[in-house]
Amino acid sequence: MQERTHSNRKNHEKPGPPEIRSIAVGIDCSPHSLASLKTAADLASRMHAELLGIFVEDINLLRLTELPFCQEIRQYSPAPEKIESTELERMLRSQARQAEASLQREAEIFRVRHSFSVRRGNVPKEVVAAALQADLLVLGRSGRSPTCRKGLGSTARNALSGSLKSILLMHEGYAAENEAVLVLCDGSDASKAALAIAIRMLRPGNTLHILLLPQYEGHEHLLESELSGQLPPGILRVEYHVLPPVSDSRILARYIRMADSGLLVLSDRMNLPAETVHNLINDIDYPILLVRS
Amino acid sequence: MSIPSALPPEKVYRKCDPAEFSFATTEELDGALEITGQERALEAISFSIGMLHDGFNLFALGPNGTGKETAVMHYLDTIAPDAGIPDDWCYVYNFEKPRHPSALQLPPGKACKLSSDMDRMVEALFSVLPTAFSSENYQAQEKIIRETFQDQQSSSIEEIEKRAAKSDIALIRTPAGFAFAPVKNGEVLKPEEFMLLGENERDKIEKEIESLKNAMQSVMAQIPKWQREAQDKIKELNRQIAGFAIRPLFTELTSGFGSIEQVSAYLDKAEKDIIDHFDHFLEKESTRQEFLPGMSAMKGSFFNRYKVNVLVDNGTAKGAPVIIEEKPACQNLLGDIEHLSQMGTLVTDFTLIKPGALHRANGGYLLIDARRLLMEPLAWETLKKALRTRQIRIESLAQLYSLISTVSLDPEPIPLNVKVILLGERMLYYLLSNYDPDFGELFKVEADFEDDLRNTSESRMGYARIVAAVAMEGKLCHFERSAVARIIEHGSRLSGDAEKVSAHMQSIADLVRETDFYARKNNRRYATAEDVQQAIDARIMRASRIRERIREATLRNTILIDTDSEKTCQINGLAVYGLGGLSFGHPGRITARVSIGKGEVLDIEREVEMGGPIHSKGVLILSGFLAARFGIEQPLSLSATLVFEQSYSGVEGDSASSAELYALLSALSETPIRQWLAVTGSVNQHGEIQAIGGVNEKIEGFFDLCRARGLSGKHGVLIPASNIDNLMLRSDVVDAVRQGIFSIYPVRHIDEGIELLTGIPAGEPGRDGLYPEESINGKVSIRLKEMALKMKKYSSESNGNGE
Repeated sequence: MQERTHSNRKNHEKPGPPEIRSIAVGIDCSPHSLASLKTAADLASRMHAELLGIFVEDINLLRLTELPFCQEIRQYSPAPEKIESTELERMLRSQARQAEASLQREAEIFRVRHSFSVRRGNVPKEVVAAALQADLLVLGRSGRSPTCRKGLGSTARNALSGSLKSILLMHEGYAAENEAVLVLCDGSDASKAALAIAIRMLRPGNTLHILLLPQYEGHEHLLESELSGQLPPGILRVEYHVLPPVSDSRILARYIRMADSGLLVLSDRMNLPAETVHNLINDIDYPILLVRS
Repeated sequence: MSIPSALPPEKVYRKCDPAEFSFATTEELDGALEITGQERALEAISFSIGMLHDGFNLFALGPNGTGKETAVMHYLDTIAPDAGIPDDWCYVYNFEKPRHPSALQLPPGKACKLSSDMDRMVEALFSVLPTAFSSENYQAQEKIIRETFQDQQSSSIEEIEKRAAKSDIALIRTPAGFAFAPVKNGEVLKPEEFMLLGENERDKIEKEIESLKNAMQSVMAQIPKWQREAQDKIKELNRQIAGFAIRPLFTELTSGFGSIEQVSAYLDKAEKDIIDHFDHFLEKESTRQEFLPGMSAMKGSFFNRYKVNVLVDNGTAKGAPVIIEEKPACQNLLGDIEHLSQMGTLVTDFTLIKPGALHRANGGYLLIDARRLLMEPLAWETLKKALRTRQIRIESLAQLYSLISTVSLDPEPIPLNVKVILLGERMLYYLLSNYDPDFGELFKVEADFEDDLRNTSESRMGYARIVAAVAMEGKLCHFERSAVARIIEHGSRLSGDAEKVSAHMQSIADLVRETDFYARKNNRRYATAEDVQQAIDARIMRASRIRERIREATLRNTILIDTDSEKTCQINGLAVYGLGGLSFGHPGRITARVSIGKGEVLDIEREVEMGGPIHSKGVLILSGFLAARFGIEQPLSLSATLVFEQSYSGVEGDSASSAELYALLSALSETPIRQWLAVTGSVNQHGEIQAIGGVNEKIEGFFDLCRARGLSGKHGVLIPASNIDNLMLRSDVVDAVRQGIFSIYPVRHIDEGIELLTGIPAGEPGRDGLYPEESINGKVSIRLKEMALKMKKYSSESNGNGE
């Protein structure tokens, strides 16, 4: 990977990024989702967007309690215990209140308009459905399902495949104000839109890493020249990294880890195969903004 | 018996001849202070300091101002710089028992180095450890451990989940755990759908779920164990990383202290402790603010444990320490453990241990004023305990007596090797010797300072050197040798002995300073004898208000003192009043009355409890004299009363006993006594006159009164002949003696005195044992005989009547 660093330069005409007027965020009170909420509120504040909080009461859980053999296995309990539907209802309501309180707290901190809705149904479907009215869906990489530690959670997976909206998949421990932003750019309009969004996500003083994916030999110079014109004058630190032609998501992930940035911004409508992009999203343990213009 | 002649002027004042000094002014002297005339005390000091065995501590005793501290310091100044420099001491955190801070002994100057090195190292750890723990190597290893645990956990669950999926059963995360449920198209079966299934299928599902639950339960049971294993691995990794990161720092630090085993052991423990608590060094900058002096015991001041509390730093010492403790309170001797108030409670740690005088003097010498020491609660017991046990154990009095109840410390005792020198008055020394059994064991050497020095050329030169030293030290004007001579004469007067000079150097130094004041006022370059005299006179004048009032009352005849006529039964005795810094004499009228009685001499002062025991003893002695002289052939059929007229306060001492006897003889012989003469001196049962104190003041007191009324040439004072050597009279008295208008008669026996006072010989017994009739003794004898006969007659008449 070659690397070059530039100072900022004059402003040129740039492709308009997708407008983000409302940001939906799924809240299930897991650590990832609380991180998502914070980032979503921050974004909403900077983009003057409305924040839509979504909490879904899992229909599967409710049905579960009605089955005669239903029992819950707890980590520090010696034996499985029966789940009472009333107790479950009460716990779900409690979680919803907790989610709403978290939303209100963040909204007050970042001073954004917000609304909160509680839905009941299949969680992935309900989240995607609720996000239809939003321009950006913010989710935790993984939620409360038991085995999705490394890869994406079911809701995130469903949103990737079932939603046409831009998606921000958040990761616990990420703090936007301290992190650099890395954007994957191959010269396509989608990747330029991703760059435009990435610029908006970047905090002053942080570094913007641009991973160039040249489509042919020498394309990287043209690409770099073209993209540098797209950068606004406020960005002082931009680092270009040129990647060899690659279509394997694991190799791509390795290059991205070498750059070791904070937020990864890309689009699944670039020249890269969508499957490669989705695999990359699944494999890499970074917060990811998938731009769909 | 012949009567004594009046003393010549040269006998009433011993002049110091300035010509004996080789210098013209004290400017020519080097100002070096030498202690003269205190050989006994200096020998004792030398012996005590030289004795290295237990208990040979020193008690320098003598009146205040005699130069005890100067003499001790003078000696110590000569030997302390050549003595070995003692080690440094510091307290450090005890990592095993935090309530018992450890004491470290280091070579001189090393304690501060250890302290600063530790501070620097701790400061460095705030960058070294975060760097080590944020390294890719550590992050990767820690991630592997965590992921291994999570993999273990999730793969076990995933296995069960896959097994469940084969039977169309889903593992569902509930708010508090997991549950299994049959699913169809990704959704849990509704109860009615489940009931529509065949019974066999329902049983099969239920059995399968039961089996899955058991499997899940066993995985759940394993999770804490896996967590523990992962934590242990991370802990071990942390230890490795921390140990690796800090080892170079400790290696460098340890190398600076060579082979000091105590320090090496301490540093090893500190290193282990830092490894165990590495996480504290990873905290943000704001929390490190607590690592500041003064924030010692505040909650969360974790890093204080790596501080070194230097109690004694001898890095710049030039020999053994010589410490003078001006306030020997318990905590000032032993040191103290201070506390800080925090949220209403008192907290402390080893950094709040403060050293005491014993710490500072350890390996050297400690000087303490005995009176101040004894005035401080428990300080004496504390000092004795430290000396007896040969160690300094810091104990809080408040804790000891449960005055406060809070968490405190019990620091490791420090070995004590100190020579304690107590400075105090004789009374204290003898009280302690008599009543404190420990005293003799711990203070085996006494340095007894003389009150007076022999008036020799050596001591006079010593005086001159003191005058020079005080003048130089205080930047005063220097003294002419005549002024020095006058100061020596004053020294003799202070000692009350012409053969001696006072050892009370404080008074001499004060006189030098006061003389400087008047010399400057008189625009002198060098202080003269006149300036010295002016200073002495001014000092007397300042203190003489009471003296003047008494004299004024006497001159106005409020106090009746006759100095012109002759009177029977009364005599002028002489008393000394001590008020503040001034002693002065004044005559007092003593009267005697006799009557027929049973041979009793009644002391009125004693009857009203205004007379002290010595005075009463004197009165009883004169009874013995009368009985021996006149009561052999006949019974003493008299009753006599004696009193100090117009005395409204107590009378003590026997210096008036001769005057009382003269008054009694006058009363018995009915012979008038010359009131222009005053008398002082005690008498024994043989009639011999014995020495008394304050003779100069007494003579001057009577002289002042007589002079005020007009000296006629007949005025004088009878003093004991044995007091001649004590005479150092004022110059005006000496002048009067020289002019013959005032006389001082040295008397050896009561018979000499009575002839001087009455002009009639006392008389000596003839061969028949009878005194000449016209002599005083003869008259007394006849009078007593008459009284005895009257008594006998009265008794026989009384007996006859009775019959």
